[in-house]
Amino acid sequence: MASVGFENVRKTFGAAVAVENLDLAIEEGEFVSLLGPSGCGKTTTLRMLAGLEYPTGGRIRIGGRVVNDVPPAKRDIAMVFQSYALYPHMTVAENIAYPLRKRGVRKRERGPLVRRTAELLQLEALLDRKPRQLSGGQQQRVALGRALIREPEVFLLDEPLSNLDAKLRAHMRAELIQLHQRIGKTTVYVTHDQLEAMTMSTRIAVMQAGVLQQFAPPADIYHSPANLFVAGFIGTPSMTLIEGEATSDGNQAVLVASALRIPIPAPAGGGRSRAVTLGVRPEDVVVGSGPIEARVKIVEPTGHETIVLLEIGPATVTARVGDGTPLRPGESVRLSFRTEKLHLFDSETGRRLEVEHPLRLETPRPASARA
Amino acid sequence: MKPASFPRQLLLNVAAWAVVLAVIFPLVWMVVTSVKPQAELFRIPPSFLPDAITFEHYWRLLAETPFLTYFRNSLVLAVSTTVLVIVVATLGAYSLVRFSYPGRETLAQLVLFTYLLPSVVLIIPLYLMMVSVGLANTIASLVVAYTTFALPYALWLLRSFMAGIPEDLESAALVDGASRIGAFWDVIFPQALPGIISTALFTFILAWNEYLYALVLVNSDQARPLTTGVMNMLITSFNIEWSLLMAASVMMSLPLIVIFTFLQGYLTSGFGAGGVKG
Repeated sequence: MASVGFENVRKTFGAAVAVENLDLAIEEGEFVSLLGPSGCGKTTTLRMLAGLEYPTGGRIRIGGRVVNDVPPAKRDIAMVFQSYALYPHMTVAENIAYPLRKRGVRKRERGPLVRRTAELLQLEALLDRKPRQLSGGQQQRVALGRALIREPEVFLLDEPLSNLDAKLRAHMRAELIQLHQRIGKTTVYVTHDQLEAMTMSTRIAVMQAGVLQQFAPPADIYHSPANLFVAGFIGTPSMTLIEGEATSDGNQAVLVASALRIPIPAPAGGGRSRAVTLGVRPEDVVVGSGPIEARVKIVEPTGHETIVLLEIGPATVTARVGDGTPLRPGESVRLSFRTEKLHLFDSETGRRLEVEHPLRLETPRPASARA
Repeated sequence: MKPASFPRQLLLNVAAWAVVLAVIFPLVWMVVTSVKPQAELFRIPPSFLPDAITFEHYWRLLAETPFLTYFRNSLVLAVSTTVLVIVVATLGAYSLVRFSYPGRETLAQLVLFTYLLPSVVLIIPLYLMMVSVGLANTIASLVVAYTTFALPYALWLLRSFMAGIPEDLESAALVDGASRIGAFWDVIFPQALPGIISTALFTFILAWNEYLYALVLVNSDQARPLTTGVMNMLITSFNIEWSLLMAASVMMSLPLIVIFTFLQGYLTSGFGAGGVKG
């Protein structure tokens, strides 16, 4: 096991900057996801860690050792590729045994190790097949087996589940969590799927345009996003963002946006008014009563809950309501926000604003309890 | 598919066989002529099947003429050219596909540019160059000459083959503990093998059948390949030794037929299919 560190790492391809000043300290045994939209630099970051790309600047450490100039073979890592990259001309057994063969493990000793790995991944019956004779899920397991057999210091996974169908993906996600719990090796996992990142990781590194946005446990990422990008990127449906002016109305801070006046927690240290962006998670909208008047725009029942898009003045708010709330498009409803759960961001910098202890004027109850 | 009606099927079959016959007739005639006794050759009307079969022409060719020397020269020439071209083209194509360096694309296009010049233009300069480096009249001079025009084509052919091999395969091998050369040998080479084999066949046939350069660059019996050797020995201004010529032609064709039969499987098999998902 080993820790992984990026120190001020930078990578450019010609004039294009892929990764900018990345600082990341991953501890031993952690499961860290690199999460972000396509082209955010997450795969480049992983490939630099693998040694398949060399950083333009900065230092990369594995287990304390600087590996900038160490070729992939000498880094004691294993990687699962999005395409699986199984060797087409080798059988499953030969594919899994390849890393051992390259490290000079004798044929006699390879056999039992291959069988044990195959057992772990339920591949025993497939050992003599060629990759093209396998289903997507089986190929995926072979790729995992090839990574597991050597027991490397660090596991790197590059969107390993993205080529599987939804059901198999959920299954493999659970298997990967279990696998990590069992072997406890440091794992770096690249994904654009926030569900994968949220469910599997001990910490998530959210990246955008080559820049690290936030590096924190999943709950922190969700409950206190560091900036507007993370706030908008994490959560399905996404957080509603309303731009306005934060001022004070007696002893209650309010956000003023056109005719709207929304009670908000007071930004820390701010007496004067300033431009802020308010973030509201769909589950923090209370539909049914409150000071704000809204018009129902779209109703999307999903079964156990319903997603409602509501128009309030200049903004559209997404709300998550219980299934028992009957709403029709065009209808007028009243709503309020759970003030203590609101997020505030500086509109200029996009950074999260810390708030003073919110004034608990009203403690809202869940929407379903009201109905 | 619905089976075609009987008359239609018959017509198609007749047409197909007509084409086949037209194509193989000269080959059959060559074989037949080579085993006919001399007396039967110019009989009118000609007999299709020989009355008597004789192998005397083959025997005479092997025993009384330098045919075997020419054959050996051709074999050495074709094999050396093929090996040289394949080694250089495989590594060169790999470099053009995988490594990035300034002028890579220009280099690739420049290689093709050499193809624009007609070979006749290059013969005299090449001959003078061979003389000045002391290679005139040797098999080696032909190996070099053939390489100059087989290599560009081979490079382009292999380049497109290599470009089709997913980079992930090689990255995986590197991460799994292979060196660059190790990854090339374990992963790229087996994947490119069908391409390498077809390129090798192309080069071999080219070197085996080439006539013009062989005629100009080599004029000693010690170094002459089959093409010019056979012409020189059997076709003179006064006489053409048809029986011997046909026997020589049959024996010249044999190596190519054997190689083709042996390698056909490689050329058609979907060797690298299904390796990567996506």
